[in-house]
Amino acid sequence: MNNHQEFTDVRVFFSKTGIAKYISHLDLYRTVQRALKRAKLPVWETQGFNRHIYLTFALPLSLGTQGCRESMDMRLVSPLPFDEMSLRLNNALCNSIRILETATPIMKHTMIKKAEYKIADINIETFGEFLNSEKIEVEKKTKKKKTLIDLKPFIEGVKLNDTDITLTLPAGNDFNINPVLLIEGYKNFMSEKERALVAEGSLTRTRVLTADGEEFR
Amino acid sequence: MIDYKSALDKVLLNVQKPSRYVGGEVGAVYKNVEPVRGESLLRFAFCFPDTYEIGMSHLGLKILYSLINSVPHYWCERVFMPADDMYEAMIENNIKLYGLESLEPIADFDFIGFTLQYELTYTNILAMLDLAGVPLLAKDRHYPIVIGGGPCACNPEPMAAFFDLFVIGEGEEVTLELLKLYEKFKARNAEKEEFLRAAANIKGVYVPSLYDVKYNDDKSVKEIVPIDSAPMPITKRIVEDLDKAYFPTNFVVPFCDIVHDRAVVEVLRGCFRGCRFCQAGFIYRPYREKTKETIVSQLSRLCDNTGYDEASLTSLSTSDYSDIEGLLSQICEYTNKNNIGLSLPSLRVDKFSSQVLEKIKSVRKSGLTFAPEAGTQRLRDVINKNVTEADLEKSCRIAFSGGYSSVKLYFMVGLPTETLEDIEGIITLIENVIEVYYDVGKTLQKAEKAKTKIRPVSVSVSLSTFVPKPFTPFEFEPQVSKEEFDARRRHLLSLLNNKKVRISWSDYDESFLEAVLARGDRRLSDVILRAYKLGCRADAWGEHFKPNLWEQAFADCGVEPQFYALRKREYDEIMPWAHLDMGLKKEFLIKENKRGLLNE
Ligand code: SF4
Repeated sequence: MNNHQEFTDVRVFFSKTGIAKYISHLDLYRTVQRALKRAKLPVWETQGFNRHIYLTFALPLSLGTQGCRESMDMRLVSPLPFDEMSLRLNNALCNSIRILETATPIMKHTMIKKAEYKIADINIETFGEFLNSEKIEVEKKTKKKKTLIDLKPFIEGVKLNDTDITLTLPAGNDFNINPVLLIEGYKNFMSEKERALVAEGSLTRTRVLTADGEEFR
Repeated sequence: MIDYKSALDKVLLNVQKPSRYVGGEVGAVYKNVEPVRGESLLRFAFCFPDTYEIGMSHLGLKILYSLINSVPHYWCERVFMPADDMYEAMIENNIKLYGLESLEPIADFDFIGFTLQYELTYTNILAMLDLAGVPLLAKDRHYPIVIGGGPCACNPEPMAAFFDLFVIGEGEEVTLELLKLYEKFKARNAEKEEFLRAAANIKGVYVPSLYDVKYNDDKSVKEIVPIDSAPMPITKRIVEDLDKAYFPTNFVVPFCDIVHDRAVVEVLRGCFRGCRFCQAGFIYRPYREKTKETIVSQLSRLCDNTGYDEASLTSLSTSDYSDIEGLLSQICEYTNKNNIGLSLPSLRVDKFSSQVLEKIKSVRKSGLTFAPEAGTQRLRDVINKNVTEADLEKSCRIAFSGGYSSVKLYFMVGLPTETLEDIEGIITLIENVIEVYYDVGKTLQKAEKAKTKIRPVSVSVSLSTFVPKPFTPFEFEPQVSKEEFDARRRHLLSLLNNKKVRISWSDYDESFLEAVLARGDRRLSDVILRAYKLGCRADAWGEHFKPNLWEQAFADCGVEPQFYALRKREYDEIMPWAHLDMGLKKEFLIKENKRGLLNE
């Protein structure tokens, strides 16, 4: 078996919006695998007994969160114009996952340190008050234990817009804060009455960033 | 509509696997609901009374979904029974059952179609109608038209009160004929009854309200009388030429994992073996094959369009395909080239030459299964299961030599004429299989002069209770009683002392209810409705099944379930399904019954 095949790394940027927020990460992985197969793109497959298309995601999106510009990496075994790659993959995917661009990867995944989120369908005023609290303590669950963590010091770049709020949280492999935690904290903060009235809040990851706030490329 | 969808949005993040409830998969069909050139859409909800995972694995749904959607101004959407958490959330938030594509309530559709796959999904059908917000009883309903089809529609009598019509037999042709006819009546705003009377004239369409059933004092059926010169009997539809029958070129490819997540093509329809207990074997007659060329082209097209890397063939008995060797070599050529795994459940290995076995080596071994169904040759002759012990041994030898180390065996308990001797035969058969395994192992060891240990064999045995079904030679036979079943079960367990054997039993109470509903008449509609009102739902989902509530429902309605399940029926008794013609003469069933039971 030829393990030294020539290939080119490519990074595919995509959006995952609307009903696609209900697709779990594992299901997204399978969905893209099949789309690649349908599109008959010349992508590299891992060799050996259990052959499958090589595919990695920069930063998994949790169930319920939409993504404006996510990315996944794969390898091409024969040259293909990037535009054609995007087009063919788009034709093979469902409407809620759209390919925005195919490009040559510039940064390593480890350079991802932050992400910007948009929070909509909430009461902006109450949420603003909530963000101004001295401490924002929530329970963070890891594999085995639950720890209490104060989110306050990690929240950056808060912008209260007319219908939504944007803010930045640590992201990446080393330290990641799931914005769902923030929503949970917000629900605890609200009074009973408000909780019944107000929608769950909808989350969108708008940008994936490096430590300097540069967009991940 | 906006409000409705946001209500859905609110609950979806709080339920397990929400992607099952939003559609939008690749291959899902979307249409414009605005009238095009004055032609408004005909909306059809294809309801599968079980979960998304099970329903989406069902080939019949895929065929009819694509077929209806192939007509530009027909829109067929999928609907499944929501899992418990979603079911409760929908009730709590007043979300009506909706089509997965439009996310719009199916109560506003033209048709609601159910597939009747299994008797224990009947209460799910009521739960889904209820969730949709349409009246349960056909007589209380105007539109939508509620229709049913599928294997259990060969005796749909217990569900007669809830359905406007049933399609008897194969649906590929009659479905479009029916929808076309409906369009005419819809255009002039006709009454439902008027449409139904016209529909009854389509071959294969059964409108239960057009037949009156009279009963004898002993509660058996006295007479089935057509009203308004409705056709008698109602004849099942079959597709003459399978090569020409509609078959989809694409499937909806789900996001989440489902039971059978792969491309699948039907290779043949019907079965000529005539096992006397097997309803499918009789009602899907005649035996028809697709040509190799059709099968290979349908399968490759499906794989190309779906991106599946697993494919499978389906039918009642794929091993019977006349040129199975040729077919498999052709398919393997395609699947091997495209790195697609081929899985062939329950293929009989003894039929193949070693060259072909070599060729299909890449075929995913999905475990070895045999269905001798009965423990002794005598009983296998009674049920006409043409498997001998020698066949079984030969197959096991081939398979074990090929590296298999686990076997699954299927048997039925409670078959007509069964005695404890036949139960003992099951044990002997199991022991023989184990013996063959170690014998093969030792021979291999010797040949390879290896000291490797023989891997322990694992045998799993699945025992189901025999359920007598309509349109089989055993439709006259009683089901075994619970006491008798327990006695046989105890006997088997007392004889079994091998740790390598895992035994699983079907639940007697479930099989009993299945037997009641399978050969039931219209009076059971009341019982099913009562059981549903008492809280029965999803009876096939193990933990949901509540035999005590069913018992109460029978009592409340003054119906004795034993009458349907445990009674021997005389040859001249009029069966509740006597007005339905499945292409089998009653004399033939009686002859077969006698041949089996009396050795005549
Ligand atoms: S049990 Fe199998 S072989 Fe026998 S009639 Fe039914 S489908 Fe055919």
